[in-house]
Amino acid sequence: MSKVKSKRIGFRIDMTPMVDVAFLLLTFFMLTTKFRPPEPVQIDLPSAHAEQKVPESDILTVSVSEDNRYFMGVSSQTSRVRIFERVIQPRLESGGMSGQSVADSLQSFKLTESFPVRKNELGHFVTAARFANQRLRPVVKADVHADFEAVNHVLKLFKDSNILTFTLLTVLEKEMR
Amino acid sequence: MGLVDSPHGEGRGRQAKRKRKRLGFHIDMTPMVDVAFLLLTFFMLTTTFSKANTMEINIPPENSEVKIAETNVMTFRIAEDGYAYWSIGEEPPRQVRLYEDREAVSLSREVRQMLLQQTKVNSKLVIVVKISDKAKYKYLVDLIDEFNLMKIDRFSLDDFTEADAEAVGMLASSGTEVPDQP
Repeated sequence: MSKVKSKRIGFRIDMTPMVDVAFLLLTFFMLTTKFRPPEPVQIDLPSAHAEQKVPESDILTVSVSEDNRYFMGVSSQTSRVRIFERVIQPRLESGGMSGQSVADSLQSFKLTESFPVRKNELGHFVTAARFANQRLRPVVKADVHADFEAVNHVLKLFKDSNILTFTLLTVLEKEMR
Repeated sequence: MGLVDSPHGEGRGRQAKRKRKRLGFHIDMTPMVDVAFLLLTFFMLTTTFSKANTMEINIPPENSEVKIAETNVMTFRIAEDGYAYWSIGEEPPRQVRLYEDREAVSLSREVRQMLLQQTKVNSKLVIVVKISDKAKYKYLVDLIDEFNLMKIDRFSLDDFTEADAEAVGMLASSGTEVPDQP
């Protein structure tokens, strides 16, 4: 009788170590996770053997999507504000926008990770970004299937605004030689 | 009986009480552990450690001129048809296939062998890469990747002009200089 009872009720495993490990992992993942900001388009990066990592701060990203549309993004908010003041604000004001709505769009622009840019405006934005922060590191994030012409346009713009060192984003190629 | 029993009972009761206090201190942690595991699985599944890699490129400034002997210059033209045309100096361009098949991730063996051979023959070789506007961006990345792997740092990018298109187009139509193609 007592044997059966102890089997049924007294069945306990000390779960403390397991719970400890679980919490350790949980805190690790919670602290290391950085949520990826929503991107306007999905970009398939080309694969290469380059192993250099992306710089952490001060990045100017020019993305070229699969259908050759351009997107631009600046990592720091102060640079975004300067770009806004230099390029977008005069345009909005000449369009007859009130001061309040300009301030509102500045607030939302400050939080945009990347925004679409038309091909003929891209040069304007790149120079504005260059003026906003001299130390911006330009990064080209182009889709594998983008046309070379579209990417070459970006490279030429960089050359024109005297950016001679920049990086191309890639993913690591698995096959090793 | 009761008198005899009571100290015993009391003693046992105290003992049991103390024992229960020390060992029997249990909180049901199951809900907490459940939540912890739920969060753990969520973070484990959503985390991606992959951080994009980068490839650094330097381009020469607009108005810089470097004089190089013609025999040290290899022009590597890439047309939109997936073929590359290479020539040294003023030689007629020779055609090579850029990729072995459509799904290939890296350049064909022919191109690699040619690059290795030519750079071995002439260590001063400068490769001028000209890519047609209608070509894909992938070609550029794969080519630069190949250069980096072969430790070739003497290369530059140049515009693919009408003259280049003509040189390549002429060859594609006549097909006389085409090396053995399978």
